[in-house]
Amino acid sequence: MIKDLSVMIAGIAGDGVLFTGNVLARLFKRHGWEAATYRDFPSNIRGEATSYIIRASLDKIYGLSDRLDILMSFDCEATISHLPEIGAGGIVFCDGKEDAEVPAGASRGKAFHKFPLRALAREHFGQEIYKNMLALGALAYVLDLDCTVLDRIIAEMFLKKKGEEIVRKNVEAAAFGYHKAGEITSGKDRHPLTRRPDRGRILISGDEAIAFGALAAGCRYFAAYPICPASEIYQWLTRYLPEFNGVVVQTEDEISALNMAVGAAFAGARAMTCTSGPGASLMMEAFSLAGMAETPVVIAHVQRLGPATGVPTKTQQGDVLQWIFGSHGEFPRIVLAPGTVGECFDLTVLAFNLAEKYQCPVIVLTELDMGQNYRTSKAFNPAGVRIDRGKLLGRDDLLQAHDYRRYEFTADGVSPRALPSFKGGVHIAESLEHDEHGYRDENDANRIRMMEKRMRKLDRAGRDLAPPRLWGERKAEAGFISFGSTLGAILEARDKLREKNIRSNFLQLRTLWPFPAAAVEKFLEGCEKVFIVENNYSGQLATLIKSQLSPCRELRSIVNYSTRAFLPGEIVRPVQRAFR
Amino acid sequence: MREKQAFHRAAPTWCPGCGLYGVFDALKRAAAALDLEPENLVTVTGIGCHGRMNNYFLGYGFHSLHGRTMPVATGIKLANPGLRVVAVSGDGDAYSIGLGHFIQTVRKNIGITYIVSDNRLYALTQGQVSPTSDFGAVTLSTPFGSKDFPIDGPTLAFAAGGTFIARGFSGEVPELASLIERGLRHKGFSLINVLSPCVTHNKLNTYDWFRKHIVHLGDDPAYDPRDRGKAWAALSQPEKIATGLIYQEDKHGFEELMLTDPRRAIGLEELRVEAGRLDKIMEKFR
Repeated sequence: MIKDLSVMIAGIAGDGVLFTGNVLARLFKRHGWEAATYRDFPSNIRGEATSYIIRASLDKIYGLSDRLDILMSFDCEATISHLPEIGAGGIVFCDGKEDAEVPAGASRGKAFHKFPLRALAREHFGQEIYKNMLALGALAYVLDLDCTVLDRIIAEMFLKKKGEEIVRKNVEAAAFGYHKAGEITSGKDRHPLTRRPDRGRILISGDEAIAFGALAAGCRYFAAYPICPASEIYQWLTRYLPEFNGVVVQTEDEISALNMAVGAAFAGARAMTCTSGPGASLMMEAFSLAGMAETPVVIAHVQRLGPATGVPTKTQQGDVLQWIFGSHGEFPRIVLAPGTVGECFDLTVLAFNLAEKYQCPVIVLTELDMGQNYRTSKAFNPAGVRIDRGKLLGRDDLLQAHDYRRYEFTADGVSPRALPSFKGGVHIAESLEHDEHGYRDENDANRIRMMEKRMRKLDRAGRDLAPPRLWGERKAEAGFISFGSTLGAILEARDKLREKNIRSNFLQLRTLWPFPAAAVEKFLEGCEKVFIVENNYSGQLATLIKSQLSPCRELRSIVNYSTRAFLPGEIVRPVQRAFR
Repeated sequence: MREKQAFHRAAPTWCPGCGLYGVFDALKRAAAALDLEPENLVTVTGIGCHGRMNNYFLGYGFHSLHGRTMPVATGIKLANPGLRVVAVSGDGDAYSIGLGHFIQTVRKNIGITYIVSDNRLYALTQGQVSPTSDFGAVTLSTPFGSKDFPIDGPTLAFAAGGTFIARGFSGEVPELASLIERGLRHKGFSLINVLSPCVTHNKLNTYDWFRKHIVHLGDDPAYDPRDRGKAWAALSQPEKIATGLIYQEDKHGFEELMLTDPRRAIGLEELRVEAGRLDKIMEKFR
């Protein structure tokens, strides 16, 4: 019985690879399978090779496996380049220009089928674009999926936007593809999947989950500048925020985006921005302003490959230390790092509560692999969302106040917050060092007290932060520490290591700052050898751990700064070497 | 009408004779003329000598970063459109480091009144050349004379689709107060560029120099600020600087267009978790 299977859709940018893959992922989910996708796109719109992997499994999965089983390719060149990745016994369908040929022998050990998708689409449906439905129909045949489920998905996608005629044509194209695949393969080469109930799960990307979390948390002001791979967050909200009386503003740059969110938060709105790479650098200035003015804002940073413009469509975790130690001056900040789409939702909600409770900027740090790829998840629970606005005053609280002080020296460092228009709450948010009322004060004694007031806000925040999650037992031979979307590859690496008799555990950090030193220290005690897994060159998490634990035992870094996310095998091999 | 003293928090410490005293006085007069409550007025300042304005002016305020008054003010206005939002900048803040934000905010036509106190150099940092310094101006950073040609805020605002463009003079406080007041009453973005001498560092563009170069548009009975042609002519006079209301037109305000209900302040709303509506949205992911 098949328990786990990966399909690659490949082609040239503009071929509809993403569309086809997303429908397939939904199809898997509706058949009760877990799904995870992985996009490997160039950073232009048309003309270059592009591929999309859709993995289905009966077990919970969070990312890719090392194996590919089926290739559906719209292009000969793409077929040639991806053929070596297809495992023995795999199935390959290849369309392509009539004169292009896949060299003989390249497909040895695999069931290779020429499938003139474009020509068939043109001939039978008048337009090449129907090739995507033909492909989906063919995949449904090979995997023995329920065509009526595919028909339903088609109707959901097209009925409202494009009408019945288009739905009918697409359903026919899918059915045609289904039968054609039967003819081409002569009924052999099938990987029938068992069917299970869908159990009400959702299929969602990390970006969408963050956007949805923001909406649920009461975010009503979103300002952002378009940037790959974070744009999906605010684009999703442009559709829904107005229904909730909220507003999304596309700004002239990221400098403006964060400053605008700071302004809106000062006036009382739960405000947020999102960015990546160079945009984060531009936000560093206003990041410091939010720290000084003690304005609660949330920043989602979906990391991409850098430095500079880097490769905007590839994943990386190279901006960790920027948020923890970046910008001018010192001020409290919180950095959360979700590792699943469910955590993208939960930690975004938490981010808004923490921002208001501690009156400081909060970062939700993910990466392209998490942000743009889709994963199945248990449905989120909006009814379980709790809103905590911290020491936000109400209009009535100030009626009796004689001497309201916005930056009052308090024991916990957090001061009561009044909003513009509240009588008796008049103050200014001051980027200069200021007194308790907010007015400029450069006096040495005041500076020292005010600095200490701000900095102690997070002294006791630990219990409110997202605690690290321990996967496995307290004691192990190999201990992994990581964060974010490396989670999937690490969990699968643990399975493979178990087969090789290496016991491992994994501490998934969900808050990177303030650093959970006690939990990390305790974890380190239980492991024979420790591996810090991260998607960057210099080992930023390892550097962070060493800076926060002193003395720190030996840490081994497993880093990956390629254009691809970690595969499980890339984590297994260095661990095996270390234990050889 | 309320007393202008209602908006006076503290005595400024600008250099004696600084043009900012005139701006401060005119802003208090305008706020008083509109009978505003100090808690319903927010001033947003940038960095420069003008930046202290909201330490002296009484009302809510945000002393932001250099050049960033426009986005901060925009965030405040959209979160609570009921507030009167006045941004104050200098020429360096508005037309150099903040130029991109300035143009983009003008074209949004959001209900912010922007007072740019233009002394034609950087005064707080001891007198370097600014985007409005005259060609050839000798400053701390241009000992051999500025090689840049100056730009003009009102002209830029005109090109960017500004709907209320005015120029005042610190030496003529009642007229300046009237321009600010009209700016505050205007629906949409209002720019009041103020010729505001720096008595310490700018020995060229003095009160007397400005008086010699100013022409008052109000003195010409035929001048119509709703006539684009006339406004362009007023902005383009060689060797003369037109003051008064240069251009005005009616256009939708950004907050009206963007907000689902501009009468509600999203910043003041009680936040409730609307699980039913959210669950319905989640259906799309199934």
